[in-house]
Amino acid sequence: MSSVIDVPVGPQHPALKEPLNITCYVDGEQVVGAKLRIGYNHRGVEKAGEYQTYIQNLYIAERICGICGIVHAFDLAQATEHIIGKEIPRRADYLRTIGLELNRVHSHLLWLGVAAHEIGFDTLFMYVWRDREAVMDVIEEFTGNRVTYALMTIGGVRRDLPQEKAEKMLRVMDVLEEKVKKYKEMCLNERTIRMRCDGVGILREEDAIALCAVGPTTRASNVPFDVRADDPHAAYDEIPFKVITYDTCDVTARILVRIDETLESINIIREAVKKMPSGPIRVRLPRAVPAGEGVGRTEAPRGEVIHYLRSAGGERPFRWKVRAPTLANLLSIPVMLTSKGDYVVYIADVPIAFASIDPCLSCTDRAVKFVDVSSGKSWVWTFSQIKRMYWKDKPYWRERP
Amino acid sequence: MIRELIDILGTLLFPGFLFFAALGLFFEWIDRKFYAKLQNRVGPLYTGPWGLLQPLADFVKLMAKEDIVPEGVATPIFSSIPVFALALSLFATLFLPVCGPQGIVSFPGDVIVLAVVLTFLVILVFLAGLSSASRYPEVGSERAVLQLLGYEIPLVASVLGAAAVTIGLGGSLSIEGIVSAQQNWWGILGIQALGFAIFLLAAQAELERVPFDIPEAETEIVAGWATEYSGKKLAFLRLARDVELAFLCGLGATLFLGGPWPGPLVPGLGGVIASTILFVIKSIVVLLLLTVIRAAMSRLRIDQMVNFAWKYLVPLSIFQLLLAVVTPTMVRLLTL
Repeated sequence: MSSVIDVPVGPQHPALKEPLNITCYVDGEQVVGAKLRIGYNHRGVEKAGEYQTYIQNLYIAERICGICGIVHAFDLAQATEHIIGKEIPRRADYLRTIGLELNRVHSHLLWLGVAAHEIGFDTLFMYVWRDREAVMDVIEEFTGNRVTYALMTIGGVRRDLPQEKAEKMLRVMDVLEEKVKKYKEMCLNERTIRMRCDGVGILREEDAIALCAVGPTTRASNVPFDVRADDPHAAYDEIPFKVITYDTCDVTARILVRIDETLESINIIREAVKKMPSGPIRVRLPRAVPAGEGVGRTEAPRGEVIHYLRSAGGERPFRWKVRAPTLANLLSIPVMLTSKGDYVVYIADVPIAFASIDPCLSCTDRAVKFVDVSSGKSWVWTFSQIKRMYWKDKPYWRERP
Repeated sequence: MIRELIDILGTLLFPGFLFFAALGLFFEWIDRKFYAKLQNRVGPLYTGPWGLLQPLADFVKLMAKEDIVPEGVATPIFSSIPVFALALSLFATLFLPVCGPQGIVSFPGDVIVLAVVLTFLVILVFLAGLSSASRYPEVGSERAVLQLLGYEIPLVASVLGAAAVTIGLGGSLSIEGIVSAQQNWWGILGIQALGFAIFLLAAQAELERVPFDIPEAETEIVAGWATEYSGKKLAFLRLARDVELAFLCGLGATLFLGGPWPGPLVPGLGGVIASTILFVIKSIVVLLLLTVIRAAMSRLRIDQMVNFAWKYLVPLSIFQLLLAVVTPTMVRLLTL
């Protein structure tokens, strides 16, 4: 007897805090296929950016993601500085690195809690989130805010890190390291966690490369791809760190990659505080940016984030393009969720397999597809088509007021 | 006349329906509060002293909420199941010896009736899911039945183990007999320890709590078989679940911890009070053990659960049943 029914997961579903639809084709308890649909949360951030100045855009960018917002602000600042072509003070690089790494610690701990909740282990969830508060407090002391940090600015950072705050930060990092090591122990030894995560959500090495997965997802598939190491920016060129990889390619590997990266981040923060040179924390750059193109990229907690910026001269960007890591990782979801040969996916595996890429859909949704509801026809408009249809009488390169 | 009146009052008020409804809500509070303590949270806090009235407040709130019956459900079944579930779990509580050595209803073989009632409760769950005409409840009810296949035999075997020890010692196959046999001798300290452990795991599965909350796995299938229920019906289902929790804790206390003993030795009204207090305290011990299990594990998958049940739980439960049957006989033969 084989009767395949489709079980919709999302866009409203307790397992997914994200607006996304996964249609699972289910035979009994086995998932035989999965189809993704995104686009429930298009916010028009890029378009909004075209009407604001570069400085104002930093704060919009910070709100692209509620968890790794600092990464977007950093990328945009980096892209703008790229167009202007000015170096920023070395101390600012170090402060940016500390900000990015603190953000990674908090994001990975948050994810660990969510993953524990997805497999029904609420106790671990509560403990991890309790300890995450420590790093949130440090971030607040450092930047002034818990979530949207407003640390980055074009040409440097906005707040310095005085010695006493740095020392307090290091003390908290020591405590946190202990706790994170304990959680690693727990995840390795607790049998029910291993039962739920071992061999689940397999993404083999060749698939990870072919589907362009990024971040911890690809590193858990034994691909040592990390923008911090491959294309050093900020102060990563002067701070030694390990690129963590695991080769079991399953959810356990993704948990361990993230926990080990948290420990690595703590080391980076220590190193950065130690090596930080003195000097100014920002340079004044002109408000008007010359015409040109700039790219900002860094390793967000979830993977590589790229910001592309095109300036036609003036105070506002002509085009701003954001590629969030979830978009790159989404493609591997149908592979993880399709039973094949010996690899069997159960309905119960869907939430944890999906959560294992640490999805953030509100950062991701950029594209809009048009659907004619009456006929069901759908199409996508390209940039040149829109230009032809709506900008017929307007000069293409004209700077908007 | 007076006799009948007392019986009716006993069934309705104490130690019958009202007492167990209140006990169920109280146990839910203990469960939540202790679970929260284990997780370094505060738990219910604001409604009543130490949040004691929170479960009642939840119940009242749900009763006042809009009751939605979705289109396409089998309405007669869908609407009657909450009532049946509550009635059935309250019925089961009548067998428990709360304030004396025997419950309101007591006859030889009532242990078997209890095992049947527990199975009926799962069949209600199955019907609730199927009648909901929705995908998540359907998956949830399938899982509930699969899970029943896993834990029912261990549950019944552990209950029968307690009965077998009693019979072996010359008692009868009734709850009263089992309780009375434990006056001087607690099996849990010896051959019944294994039976008690199996009972705890099976009770956890019957109550659909972590690690066996598979039929209502929140992050997987929304609320499982109960997804489509709302308002009064959900309130009844939740109350039924609370009463079932109190019932299973009470059953554990009765079968393995000696129920109200030595309370009934006190004469008169004092005996009733002492018995009740002892019964509740022993039930709470079982409840706390169940809560610890809930806090210390993550949810299993349905295939893992059935696998675990048939590989370990069923053989172990049959082994402990054999142990329970053979040991008292051996003891008697040796002492003869």
